[in-house]
Amino acid sequence: MIEFQEVQYHAGRITILKDINLTIPDGVFAAIIGPNGAGKSTLIKLLLGMEDPSEGKILIDNIPRDSWLKHNGFGYLPQREEYDRGFPATALDIVLMGIAGRIPWGKRVGDEYRERALKIMQDTGIKDKANSAIGNLSGGEFQRVMLSRAILSDSKYLILDEPEAGIDRHSVVNFFELLKELNDAGKTVITVSHDLHTLNKYCNFLICLNKTLHCHDHSELIDQQLIDRTFGEHSRLIEKDY
Amino acid sequence: MPGFIIVALIGAVLSGISLAVFAPYVTLRRISYMGEALSHIAFAGIAIALISGMNLTLGAWIFVSIVALLISWLSRKEKIQEANTITIFLSLSMALGIVLISLSKNYAFDLSSYLFGNVLLISISEVWALGILNVFNILFILIFYKELFYLSYNPEMAKVFRIRVGLIDHLFYLLLAANIVLNLKSAGIILVTAQLILPAVIAFNLAKKLGWIIAISVIAAIVSALIGFYLSFVLDIPTGATIVIVQAFIYALSFIFKRRK
Repeated sequence: MIEFQEVQYHAGRITILKDINLTIPDGVFAAIIGPNGAGKSTLIKLLLGMEDPSEGKILIDNIPRDSWLKHNGFGYLPQREEYDRGFPATALDIVLMGIAGRIPWGKRVGDEYRERALKIMQDTGIKDKANSAIGNLSGGEFQRVMLSRAILSDSKYLILDEPEAGIDRHSVVNFFELLKELNDAGKTVITVSHDLHTLNKYCNFLICLNKTLHCHDHSELIDQQLIDRTFGEHSRLIEKDY
Repeated sequence: MPGFIIVALIGAVLSGISLAVFAPYVTLRRISYMGEALSHIAFAGIAIALISGMNLTLGAWIFVSIVALLISWLSRKEKIQEANTITIFLSLSMALGIVLISLSKNYAFDLSSYLFGNVLLISISEVWALGILNVFNILFILIFYKELFYLSYNPEMAKVFRIRVGLIDHLFYLLLAANIVLNLKSAGIILVTAQLILPAVIAFNLAKKLGWIIAISVIAAIVSALIGFYLSFVLDIPTGATIVIVQAFIYALSFIFKRRK
């Protein structure tokens, strides 16, 4: 369970997040939606420990975030990852990063982890590129590498920041099907997304954010009223036809 | 061959190895300017040690380590751009060094050997120190191979995936500082920078796995130290500068064999 208690986040004089009180139960498939600049990525960075809240507390499994992070980690897929395209790593090397922090110093990544990584890469449809240099991967292929890495980390929480970015529309459905399988297997999935149509089908817990929280519950439907409250009255829900 | 030449030759090889082991990481992390900055920052450390009567190498190492950790900490915690922090410390250290040296009454001190290096002046104890440092370097890289790999790839993501980025980064800078300071006498402030880049860029042209890149970087450093030393001896030209010219020549040659992607 993840709890945000009275969390505020300011960047200089600008308020990015205000009065965030949020409880995400275990086992949900949660979606964070909101317009650009709503603070969605910031909310995730606060959860991951990449930023500290200006005020308030974050509890994970009833433990303060920093204490929890000492012994646990998240499976995370960032919106963008900065890397040097000439970096001497293969796709498999990057996937294995998901487990590297759990292997003691001085020990190499064992064959059992390599096999597990390749199995996950098969599920995410990127196994044939396992030995390709990362500089030779397309944006969509690298996105699958990052998803494989997040899954390999074997955290009970899978955090995704716009996982559909860079992936063709047809593949988005396969991507979410895979996330649903992981969710059914017991993982808590938290995803930032702009693809409201797809979210509607897969998510069972909605977090509507626009600096403050507009809703967070087991919403069955994303309707126009909710869109108005979160995005402003001039937004319209447009259904994508895959 | 005179004894001091053999000591100097061993010194030149060990000096090349110690910088070549770090060169791939310095290049991958795009902190080659850090090598240059730390070499200049050492100038103030040497000056402080000179004034206080401390061992010059130890004084410089302590000073450079403190500044390196401060730069790393300020850049991460206060989010000041690393390039700005480094420039501030570099200028301040050079200024401090010049003022302190001018105040020093120790006229016998040969500052130019620290600026341009002279491997022929290296002592047996300094060769031992370089040898021991190389053992630490190799142990550090063997123990933290995967951690250094992911830290160089993307420190922010490495931290998310529970790699002890802060601790390993601090150890990295402490060892880098020690390598730079111990090499100042043989390679000099100016040539240390070149030796922290050239072996790595040669290796990047020839290999695509980090393990091989480090190995080739070390081999390139040894070969250029031996050839450079021989040429400088035969032609009676400065050793450190000749080694760097040989490295640059090997770098040009490496393009012929550059790996295809």
